[in-house]
Amino acid sequence: MKKAMIYILLAVISVYCLFPFLWTILTALKPQEDVFKLPIRYLPERVSAQNLENVFFKRPFARYLLNSLVVSGGATLFTLWAASLIAFRLRKMEIERSLKIQRRLLIMAIAPPALLVIPVFMAMRKVGLVDHYLGLILPYVALNLPFAVWMLHAAFRQLPKELNEAAMLDGFSSSRILLGIVLPLSRPALAITAVLVFIFCWNEFILALTVMPSQMKYTVPVGIAMLSGASVYEIPWGEINAAVMLTTVPVILLMAFLQRWIMEGLTRGAVKG
Amino acid sequence: MIKRLEFLILFSILFLIFPLPVFSQVVLRMVGPEDLGGAWAEIARRFHGRNPDIEIQYIPGPWSTDQRQDMYIRSFMSGDAFDLVFMDVIWTAKFAEKGWLLPLEDWFPPEKQEIFLQGDIEAGRYHGRFYRAPVRSDAGLLYYRKDLIPHPPKTWQEFEEICRKYSSPPEQYGIVFQGMQYEGLVCNYLEYLWGAGGSVLDDQGKVHLETHENIMALKFMKKILDEDWAPKSVITFQEQHSLEFFEKGKALMMRNWPYVWKVLNDSPLRGKIGIAPFIHRQGKEPASTLGGWGMGIARAGKHPEAAGKFVEFVTSPEAQKILYFKTGAVPSRKSLFRDEEILKESPYYRELYEILSRARPRPVHPDYARISAILQKHVSSILVERESPREASHGMQRSLESLLKGRKENWLKRLALDDDLFQTARNTAFFTLISVPSEFFLGLLMALFIHLPFRGRNLGRLAVLIPWALPTAVMAMSWQWMFNNPFGIINDVLVRAGLLSIPADWLSTAGGAMFAALFADIWKTTPFVVIILLAGLQSVPKELQESLSLDGAGPLKRFFQLTLPMLIPYIRVALIFRMIHAAGIFDLIWVLTKGGPADSTRTLSLYIYDLAFQNDEIGYALFLTSLFIAALILMSFAVTRGLTLRYERVGR
Repeated sequence: MKKAMIYILLAVISVYCLFPFLWTILTALKPQEDVFKLPIRYLPERVSAQNLENVFFKRPFARYLLNSLVVSGGATLFTLWAASLIAFRLRKMEIERSLKIQRRLLIMAIAPPALLVIPVFMAMRKVGLVDHYLGLILPYVALNLPFAVWMLHAAFRQLPKELNEAAMLDGFSSSRILLGIVLPLSRPALAITAVLVFIFCWNEFILALTVMPSQMKYTVPVGIAMLSGASVYEIPWGEINAAVMLTTVPVILLMAFLQRWIMEGLTRGAVKG
Repeated sequence: MIKRLEFLILFSILFLIFPLPVFSQVVLRMVGPEDLGGAWAEIARRFHGRNPDIEIQYIPGPWSTDQRQDMYIRSFMSGDAFDLVFMDVIWTAKFAEKGWLLPLEDWFPPEKQEIFLQGDIEAGRYHGRFYRAPVRSDAGLLYYRKDLIPHPPKTWQEFEEICRKYSSPPEQYGIVFQGMQYEGLVCNYLEYLWGAGGSVLDDQGKVHLETHENIMALKFMKKILDEDWAPKSVITFQEQHSLEFFEKGKALMMRNWPYVWKVLNDSPLRGKIGIAPFIHRQGKEPASTLGGWGMGIARAGKHPEAAGKFVEFVTSPEAQKILYFKTGAVPSRKSLFRDEEILKESPYYRELYEILSRARPRPVHPDYARISAILQKHVSSILVERESPREASHGMQRSLESLLKGRKENWLKRLALDDDLFQTARNTAFFTLISVPSEFFLGLLMALFIHLPFRGRNLGRLAVLIPWALPTAVMAMSWQWMFNNPFGIINDVLVRAGLLSIPADWLSTAGGAMFAALFADIWKTTPFVVIILLAGLQSVPKELQESLSLDGAGPLKRFFQLTLPMLIPYIRVALIFRMIHAAGIFDLIWVLTKGGPADSTRTLSLYIYDLAFQNDEIGYALFLTSLFIAALILMSFAVTRGLTLRYERVGR
C-alpha cells in the first residue's frame, strides 16, 4: 500500500516535470497540417520529419547551433583554464583565507544576467566586441568563474599535499604539477564543472540577445525566440517545436548519462554556497 | 604537453577573432519581413543586373515590426550597421534624431519629392531634412461586405444601426479590427480619436488628451466590444487574425490596410468586398492613419553612393510595380494610381488615392515609441476593462505630459512621476511573492519525497533535473504553444476534464497571462530548490534520526525538531537565490508574453531593458538598475536575518 503510494507519487512528479518536453516532441513529429487540427490528437497519426527538415533547410538553424557551440564551448574552455589556475593558486593559501576570498566571489556571481546586461553591453561596445563571439564568451567566463573555482578548489583540496611535495622534490615546475598531476587526478570534478558551465552558457538568453544582434550570430535560444511571429499566415508552431526538440534532446541525454555526477557536483557546490 | 595546450588556446583565439570571410564586392544589407512572393529577391536581382558590382543582401527578419526595429537599433549601437534602413513611418524621427541616418537630398531634391504622395514625403522629414524615401504607402481602410450590407456606414451612428440590423453574433459580428496591445492598436485608436475631432497634440504641441473628444472615442471603442459588435477575442488580434476572421465570413466589416485587398480577391469573397473611408462622428471628418515603409541610408554604412543608387531604384515605378504585383503593396508615386495595369487589377485605387491623400501621420516625435507605448497601454486597458474611459484619458494625459517635459529633468524627479516604473515594480513584487514561496514549498515536498529510500528514486532525480537543465527561453516557446487557444494542450485537457466549459484565452487576459508566467516559472525553477534542499537533507546525520525515533518521536516531530533546523542554511541559500532571480526575471516573460496584455506581466527587467535598448536612455536605465540592485541586497539581508537561528548568531 505504502509502496503503491510512493510509485504513484513518483509517476506524478515525473509527468509534471516531463510533460512540456513530451508534448513538444509529439507536436514536432506531426506533419504540418496535423499540428493545427482540432480536436487535438495526443499521439501523431502519422510521423513526419518535415518540421525537422524545415528547421535546417528553410532557416539557418545549423548556423545557430554552430554559434551556440562556439560560444558555449569557448566559454567552457576558458573558464576551466582560468579556474584551474586560480584554484591551484588558492590551494597554496591558508584554507580559511581562500574560503573567504571565494565566498566574496560567489556573492558577486549571484546577480541575474538581466541586471548586468547594460554594463556588459556598454563595455563590449567600448572594446568593439559587439556582434563578436568573444563579446559573449568573456562575460560568460566572468559569470561562471566563481562557481568553477569553488568546484575545482574543493576537488584539488582532496588531493594529498604530499603529492605536491614529492613532485617538487623531483624538480617539477608548478605548471607541470598542475597539468601533469593535479588536473588528471581531478578529472571527475573537471567534467562536472565543464558540463554545468556549458549548460549555463547554452541556456543563457538576455546577453546573447543583446551582445550579438545580427541574425547570423544568434545562439539557439535567441534564434528560437525570434521565430515567434516569423510568418505572416500562421506562427510556424510545428517548426518551433521541432527546433525546441533539437535543442533540448541533447541536454536531456547529457543529464541522463551524467545524472549521478551532476547531482553530486551540484550538492557539493551547494554545501557551503 | 604545455606547448600543445598553449598552441591550442592560441589557435582557438585566432579562430574566434577572424570568423568572417572577406568580401571583395560591395554588399549592402537590409532587413525586412519574410520575402513572400519573392518580390525583394526580384528587385535585388534586377538591381544587381544593372549594377554588377553591388549586391543586395536581403535579410528576412521577424514578422513583428517592433522586433525588426530592435534589430536595426542594436545594429546601429554596435557600430556594425545594416547599410539600408527599411523603415516604418514612425521610426524616422527617432533614427534621424539619433544621427543614425544620412539625409537624402542629394538623391531626392525637392522637385523630385513632388512625385510622391504628400503624406509620405512629410513623414520622411525631420527638422527640415529628408531622411526616408517612400517605398510603399499605407492607410487604414474600412472593408465591408457589399453582398450583406446595402451601403458602408459613414458615421458612428450609421455604424451602430448597421450592426444592430445585420450582425448576429456569435455567427457574424459587425466588425473586426486590431485590438492587441501593439502599434496597430494605436493606429486603430487614432482613427476613432481623429474621427471624433480630437488629436494627441494640439497646435502648440501640448498634450491634448483629457478631452471630451478622447473620452467619446474611447467610450465608443468600448461600446463596440460591450455590445458584441466585435468579438471579444479581437483584443488578441493583429492584422492577420482580423483578416482570417473576416475571410471566413464571420464579420460584416473590417478595419485593415490596403494589402488585404489582394488576399481577399483570391478568396471566395472575391467581388463581394468594398472599401470606404473609416467611420467618424457626425459632423466631423473621416481620417485614416498613415502607414507605409520607406528606405533610408545608415550614416555608419561604408558605401553611401551604392546605397543611394539602390534607394533610387527601390522607389522607381519599376520596383514599386514589382512590389505591387507580388505583395499587394500600395505604391507611393502619384502617377502609379493612374497606371493602366494597376487599375485593371485594382479598380478601387481611384478611391484609395482619395483616402491616402487625406491620411494623417501619427505624432512625429523622436520619442514616438514611448508615446505609443503609453497610448497602447491605456487603450488596451479599456478593452480588457481594467480602466474606465475617464481614467484612461486622465492617465494618457498625465503620462504623456511627464514624458514630453520629463526628458530634460533630473532622474530623481522623473522617478517620482514614472508610472511605468510603479506598475512594473508592482508586477515584479507580485510575481516574486507568489512564485518564490510556491517553488519553495513544492520543492521542499519533492526533495523530502525523493530523499526517501526506495527503488527507482534515481528516475525521480533525473526527472527533477530536467526542467532545471532546459533553456528557459526555449521552454517559454513551448509553454506559449501549450497555452495557445485553441490548439494548446492545456485548454484541451482542462476542457476534457470538465474544469473549463470553453477554452480560455490564457495569454490575452491580464490574469491568465500572469498565471501562465507563474506556472511556467514554478515548473522551471522548483528543481533548483529541490537540488539545494537535497544537499541539505544529505547532511542530516542518520544516527540522530534513528536515535530520535527510538525515543518515540513521530515523523512530523522528527521533521520539525531535527530536519528543518538542519536545513535552515540551505533554505537560506535557496530563498535568497530564487528571490533575486525571480525579481530579475526576463527571458521567460520576454518570450512568453512580451509583458502584455496591457503591461500586466511586464516586470522591472523588461522595463529597464526597453529603456536602454529601445529608447536609448542608458543613463536612466543604469540609474534604475542600481536602485534595483540596492533593493535586492537589502531584501537578501532581511531574509538572512530572518532565517538565522539564535545559536548561529552567537557563533559568529
